[in-house]
Amino acid sequence: MKNNKITSANAIQYPTGNSRDVMIASYAVPTLNSEAVQAQSANISMVSGATYTSNGYLQSLQSALNQARL
Amino acid sequence: MTATPEVAAPLAQRAWVEQIMGMPISVHVRGTTRPGEVADAAVQRVFEELRWVDATFSPYLEDSELRRLQRGAITLEQCDPTMTQVQQLCLTAHERTEGYFDAWACSDLGPGLFDPTGLVKSWAVARAARHLRGAGLDDFALNAGGDIVLSTADDAPAWQIGIEDPADTRRMLATVPIRDGAIATSGRAARGAHIVNPMTGERRSPLAAATVIGPSLVWADVFATAAIARGDSARDWVSGLSGTSGLLVWADGATHTWGNAV
Repeated sequence: MKNNKITSANAIQYPTGNSRDVMIASYAVPTLNSEAVQAQSANISMVSGATYTSNGYLQSLQSALNQARL
Repeated sequence: MTATPEVAAPLAQRAWVEQIMGMPISVHVRGTTRPGEVADAAVQRVFEELRWVDATFSPYLEDSELRRLQRGAITLEQCDPTMTQVQQLCLTAHERTEGYFDAWACSDLGPGLFDPTGLVKSWAVARAARHLRGAGLDDFALNAGGDIVLSTADDAPAWQIGIEDPADTRRMLATVPIRDGAIATSGRAARGAHIVNPMTGERRSPLAAATVIGPSLVWADVFATAAIARGDSARDWVSGLSGTSGLLVWADGATHTWGNAV
């Protein structure tokens, strides 16, 4: 992996597809944050979490990230 | 809007949000190559379609097609063809999770009732993303209550996704870059213990959250839900989910990450 792009070494394992298939053939492993990472500093746009509801939205990290872009 | 951005300039990024199906639907679109009205119209089509899905598949609206089907007021053949598609997906999900995702064992309204709610949201969102692609948008993130479909333009950096800490949802436990694909998280952070182990009827799980990353939002969501239902044995099970990566978080804070080749 280089800059999150699959290099030719990975591509050899998936010889049947076109380059687009190779691109999506492998996914990065989540990296645990050693301490509280600020969404803005980490350039995070989206937050994945256990299905949050409309009621919880205003308090959510995603709400804060949306506010910056609305 | 037609100016060519400088190489080092940050990508323009716009966001839309709407509450549908009881959850926030957030769309972020990056880049400046498409006029704003094109993106606006495409995003509105996404929202419209999700409202239609809600009206059709809601287990809470008494006149939804799903509720009428559950009551026997209409047959599957009388439903919109998507009802059959969703039912087929639920059957496949049952098979691919060895029974841990069971759309016939989760309804509170009666034993054996077909309730695809655990899969409809991600199916609908993945499907609605075609309106963005169809409008020529290739750099977007569509987030439905924490389950996300992503597309990245060839010359753009990967989307950086934060994974919420189930013990403190104001904090991000992990980060993962995704270019094209999906990420889904299941757990009990927002709605309590709503996932049933269909084998035992047990609603408690030693797992607080399960996040699955892969090419398809539906399967990421189904696998994340099945992992919670499985509990401790999910750790071994996820090693067999080819072409996925992810994160399991136990109630005591222990974690397990994986990344499997196709």
